[in-house]
Amino acid sequence: MATKVRETPMLDELTKGPWPSFVREIKKSAEDGKEAANDLLGVLERSYHEKIGHWKHGGIVGVMGYGGGVIGRYNDLPEEFPHVAHFHTLRVNQPSGWFYTSDILRKICDIWDKHGSGITNFHGSTGDMVLLGCRTEALEPVFAELTELGFDLGGSGSDMRTPSCCCGKARCEWACYDTMNACYDITMHFQDELHRPAFPYKYKFKFAGCGNDCVASIARSDCAVIGTWKDDIQIDQAAVAEYAKGGGIDIQKHVVERCPAGCMSFDGSKLEINNDDCMKCMHCINALPKALAPGKERGATILIGAKAPIIGGALLSSVFVPFLEMEPPYEDLKELTEAIWDLWGEHGKNRERVGEFIQRIGLGNFLEQIGLEPTPEMVVHPRTNPYIFFELDEEE
Amino acid sequence: MSASVEDVANAMYEMVKEYHGKKNLKALDLTKAMIQKFGEDQVDKKLCKQAIRQLIDSGKCTYSYVGGSYIVLPPES
Amino acid sequence: MAERKTDIGPPHYEQFLPPVIKKNYGKWKYHEIVRPGVLMHVAESGDKLFSVRAATPRLASTKTLRMFADIAEEYCGGHLRWTSRNNVEFLTDNESNVEPLVERLNKEGYPVGGTGPGITNIVHTQGWVHCHSAASDASGVVKSVMDEMFPYYNGEKKLPAKLRIAFACCLNMCGAVHCSDIAILGVHRKPPDVKHDIMKAQCEIPSTVAACPTGAIRPATVDGKQSVEVIEEQCMFCANCFSVCPAMPLNRPDTDGISIWVGGKVSQARSEPKFSKLAVPYIPNEPPRWPTVVNTVKKIVETYAANARPWERMGEWIDRIGWPRFFKLTGLPFTKYHIDDFTHAGETFQRSLHFKRA
Repeated sequence: MATKVRETPMLDELTKGPWPSFVREIKKSAEDGKEAANDLLGVLERSYHEKIGHWKHGGIVGVMGYGGGVIGRYNDLPEEFPHVAHFHTLRVNQPSGWFYTSDILRKICDIWDKHGSGITNFHGSTGDMVLLGCRTEALEPVFAELTELGFDLGGSGSDMRTPSCCCGKARCEWACYDTMNACYDITMHFQDELHRPAFPYKYKFKFAGCGNDCVASIARSDCAVIGTWKDDIQIDQAAVAEYAKGGGIDIQKHVVERCPAGCMSFDGSKLEINNDDCMKCMHCINALPKALAPGKERGATILIGAKAPIIGGALLSSVFVPFLEMEPPYEDLKELTEAIWDLWGEHGKNRERVGEFIQRIGLGNFLEQIGLEPTPEMVVHPRTNPYIFFELDEEE
Repeated sequence: MSASVEDVANAMYEMVKEYHGKKNLKALDLTKAMIQKFGEDQVDKKLCKQAIRQLIDSGKCTYSYVGGSYIVLPPES
Repeated sequence: MAERKTDIGPPHYEQFLPPVIKKNYGKWKYHEIVRPGVLMHVAESGDKLFSVRAATPRLASTKTLRMFADIAEEYCGGHLRWTSRNNVEFLTDNESNVEPLVERLNKEGYPVGGTGPGITNIVHTQGWVHCHSAASDASGVVKSVMDEMFPYYNGEKKLPAKLRIAFACCLNMCGAVHCSDIAILGVHRKPPDVKHDIMKAQCEIPSTVAACPTGAIRPATVDGKQSVEVIEEQCMFCANCFSVCPAMPLNRPDTDGISIWVGGKVSQARSEPKFSKLAVPYIPNEPPRWPTVVNTVKKIVETYAANARPWERMGEWIDRIGWPRFFKLTGLPFTKYHIDDFTHAGETFQRSLHFKRA
């Protein structure tokens, strides 16, 4: 392992400063004798000089039987950088909430040190553990050893992408349902849809325990499951008084006046909430965590359709089910999901996300087809345009 | 249902071969074509799903990705 | 040979949870930030869990992961987790381990921070490290920006509220950055350079034509080869055609670069979730340290820090003061590129007199 680590004057500029350096990470692997890491340094240094990437478009690579989980990647300078001629990525389905033990982490490292570049992403944007860079012939052995260890691949392509969730009840007092369990259950239930792409395009699930949405579900998932409650915010007036006395926060100014619903009042010691008007935004609970808590009748709002700009413009998810109890085995969520997939799968265009599909056929029609009743919670306001596609019954 | 998974998988394989180099087919294109070919009383989506799985697991076809996932003949090499 | 296992799914999370979490699962009462980067969660039982949060560059070598494993074993019974924003967290119920953990992580170069009203780690994409469609590098920009923003990470400086930065190296936005307080987005600015030689072999012409959201691509015969042509004035450089057809590359060293977007959020707190809006349409790529991007982000953050009220996120602050004042205070020029001209453009025109003095 006497390979000399490449000289990278430009990249070395990125080893300076207080923030941990990705260049340092690649160098660690190169110093460890990983030829792929060393060639990655070379090709990246070249990109920094030329201001352009050197990776080619995909290709047909994967593990036997699966259509997802491996991103094929080839370099366009294979003669100069032979050890990154193939530089495929494996997406490995992370455990719910990204919890690990030192033992399992070392075993994953053992597999990747043996077969790959020694470089990883903890984690990829969708949530997977990403093993970055190996040759085609390494894919099956890595997969075999991962499954032996109890791990499986995540999604890619036109499939259900690896669902992800916040740490929910494992650590957070605001979790309105068990996000880690729901995420695990849905992932296991839809294994076939995760590994064998059969949709018009990708479909993402994200499970957030409350409206703070630490996993950005409303912006990033076709199906966002966001924790909420039906009854009243729980108030501990003694703790409110403590906050008022402590002086750390001006309750009138920073809680009451910041309430978007204008549903709170404070007389200097007692906090009152008109819960009929509450929008469950979480601000007051965030501000006074010891005094306020979500109500006791907890569940989730189901929102559908978020996506990034490609193709028809970015969308946030919109309300489908204002309140759903989220208890295992999550039958209602599974039924809703299957109904959505059935309709979108049948009529969606190639590369059309479900949010775009809904815009194309109309939310009203979509609801009718999947058997959901329209409710006022689904819209900001009723339509303002009078071009209504009336459908008359026969007898009319 | 009286068509077998095997029959449907074979018919799918023929279709992938026929379209090879002309058009990439998605799982759903194959499913729709098989329901059309065999008739709704003979095959459904579930059976097609099993047939696709057999087709891929047998190595006769593989998944590809070009901005979307397709079912294609394996690369020649 | 062992039977090939498939469809086993991820391992069940429960086996990785520390005992204090298993015991108090779903029974947490409240939490506090006891010092920058350290959370204390208190359970109904009175048990306490300390989470020590440290920065990572997301890209991690196995050597680093093994070092994290060693640290977790030394102080946390082997328990650790990652956050949704690429921070690593060491979990212990032993308060006396907090100080040595913080010291050790800082010493190893993975500084502790990322909690409360400040800037936490940047969610980002692959860039030149691994991607075929990147208009910029990701990790290099992230590193450069976070070096500059570091005092807002480690708690040295505070902001009125949380500030979330995200980076995506092209419009595909693998990180879906479009709802961030500050989004840094790689952009192409020239139409695809059609490779007529490989078009027929590598692409389906009808689906390449259909991929264009503005209908700018049409079939054409070029030098006797079946291919496509691009109506250049209709191209807005989304690269969707390149996603479905490798013969349509848009990457160009001279014209690719970075745009900056502000005021988005995903949380429901106070105001509704919102998209980020364009602040700077284009900054050239300046590797290795992207000084113009860094300085622009810094200017925006400092203007926000000096003017926003407590709890006010970037977008809420701008909603209060209005966009004319945002551009005036930051000194960023407002150009025709700031005005939308795609599908929902009309919704963004000012159709009232309800705008504030700059």
